[in-house]
Formats: sequence, C-alpha cells, structure tokens
Amino acid sequence: MVNSDDDPDLQKLQLDTSPIPLLQKIKTEGRVWGDLAQQYGVTNPDPPWKANVEGICDALAEENCALPALERRWEEDELSETLFSDMPFPERQLLSLAHSMIKRGLFNEEELQSRMKVVEHRLNA
Amino acid sequence: MSKDKDHDHGAHKAAPMVEEVSMFEILETAVRELAIEKGLFSADDHRRWVEYVHTLGPLPAARLVAKAWLDPEYKKLAIEDGVKASLEVGVDWINDMPTHFGTPSDYCNLRVMADTPTLKHVVVCTLCSCYPRPILGQSPEWYRTPNYRRRLVRWPRQVLAEFGLILPPEVNVRVVDSNQKTRYIVLPVRPEGTEGWTEDQLAEIVTRDCLIGVAMPKPGTTSNVKLPVRKAVNPVEHGHH
Repeated sequence: MVNSDDDPDLQKLQLDTSPIPLLQKIKTEGRVWGDLAQQYGVTNPDPPWKANVEGICDALAEENCALPALERRWEEDELSETLFSDMPFPERQLLSLAHSMIKRGLFNEEELQSRMKVVEHRLNA
Repeated sequence: MSKDKDHDHGAHKAAPMVEEVSMFEILETAVRELAIEKGLFSADDHRRWVEYVHTLGPLPAARLVAKAWLDPEYKKLAIEDGVKASLEVGVDWINDMPTHFGTPSDYCNLRVMADTPTLKHVVVCTLCSCYPRPILGQSPEWYRTPNYRRRLVRWPRQVLAEFGLILPPEVNVRVVDSNQKTRYIVLPVRPEGTEGWTEDQLAEIVTRDCLIGVAMPKPGTTSNVKLPVRKAVNPVEHGHH
C-alpha cells in the first residue's frame, strides 16, 4: 500500500474542496436518477449518462493524462465525505469530476455554465 | 406510445422512459463537450472507451472459475499465469485495451488467487479502487468507497460479516491489495452439491461478489448482495500512517 510519507508527489497533492457555486446549485436543484426513475417507473438502476461519465474519466487519464486517475479518485473520496456527501452515486461522481476539472483549470465555471445553457436549450428543443 | 384499446398490446408496450432532461444529464454533456473542445480528448477517444466499457461484465471471470473447477490443468494455468488463462475466456489483457498500448494507467497483470478450505482471499484497492474491469466489468459502488477500502485491510472478518460471510477461526483471510499494474480475482472453492454440473451451471453461481471474495458460491445463489452504502463512522484522513 502506498503511503503518502513515501511518495513526495502525493505529499504535494493539494486537494481543493472549496465549493463551486454552479456545482452547488446543480447539487441542490438537480433531480437525481433515483427520483426520476421512481417517478417514471423506469427500472434501470443507472442513468443513461453514467457510462459517458466513466468514459470521460478513462479518456482524461489516458492520452495527455489531463486528470490522472489516482488524483481524481482521491479528490472524489474527499468530496464524497464533504461537499457531496448526501448525493447518490453516480451524481456524486459526476459532480466530483466537474469539480476536479474546474479546480485544475481544464475549463472554468463560466464556460461550464454557458455550455450548460446551450446544451439545455438543445436537449429541450 | 400506442394506445390502441381494441387489442392486447401488453407484450409490445414501450418500456417506460424518463420524460425530462435532468441537470445532471446537461452537466455531463457540457463537461464532455468542453473537454473535447479543449483538446483533452477526442470524441472518438471517448466513444471507444464507452463502447469498450459496454462490452465488459463479470461473465468471463465466472467462466474462468468454472473452467478451473472442471479442469485441474486449467486451474494450474490460471494460478500461474492469469493473463494466459484469460485468453481462453476471451479476454486479452495486453491487446484488448482501447489503446492497445501501455498508458500511465495501464494494467496488464491479472493474478488469480485460489482459495482453499482454510484460506479465503478477498480483493481491495486501498488507494483508489482499481478493479479487474476487462474480466469482471465495472466495480460496484461499495467497492469504491473509503469505508470498504480502509476497513477491509484492518478488520477483514468484520467487513466480510457485513456481507453475510462469517468465516470460522480456522480459515485464514488474505486481503490482496490491487494496484496500477496488478489486478486480482478470487478463485473460490467449488461448493458441494455441484457434482456433475456443466460449465454454464457452475459459472452461473460464480457471482461478482464471489470473484471479489466477499461471498462464497452456493447452488441456487446467482445474484449479488444488495448492500447499502455506509459512511465511515470515524473517517480516516488521507494522511495515512
């Protein structure tokens, strides 16, 4: 088992779990799959976007290693016990992923908000 | 959806669907599109990963165990060379990955851990939840939680008991910790009452939980435990000691 005392890189890992307002809003106002499935009588235990999230995580850890798997998972663990502790999986995984990507500057909150408006308009058209 | 009242369309009714777009669906799409625009990965990369993940499930690992139960030579191979044994159940650890090439998160080494009547293996990844996806599919949520990962190595019998697996004192428990390069599955002891069974019948009782090691195969049990995810009562900080 790797001990952070043995690995200077892990020691330098600074996990920033300060809340991002947009993600807090989604957490508060978004309807989780469990509720939607129950309302509409859908028996699939997983939302249709879950596989996409897993694909994003794999792709980010792959080519340019924009978000290494270990760092993402550590941050997901922290966020699962703090900011997103009351969210079910995989909503928690998705929010944590977005959080990690914003904190690493892969895109910013404004860009995400703007893109979400575009996507919402498109999907609800 | 058809609403023909004159004919019985019960067998052909469309399955219920969620009729609204959630903020989470919008969020996922937005994150993915931004990532592609920023050049973090291509749409094709993403598609390959999603398609790959959809091909994965626990059946190949179950078949590996069933084959090992029926063929002592194959069991020997599985223990000595899990990667080679995997080829016979259709899993190529070296070449099947979407990249077909080593990556920073590559994993090519499968080890098959054979239980005995006095030795029980159970699998974990204490650091982050590494899992033998190519042969076992996606990991269950509980496997990914710090609650499981941190507690199993410290109190294995207690954690196994939460899954309903109570082991007598004469059975040793060996916890194997996965890592970036090496992944594990458990080859449980073949249970009594399966004499004369076919490979298909045997594979059916080798559930995902059995392959992780938190359950033992039993005739008649073909599903996994439905386990509520529990938060750690005294969470351990990341500054491990």
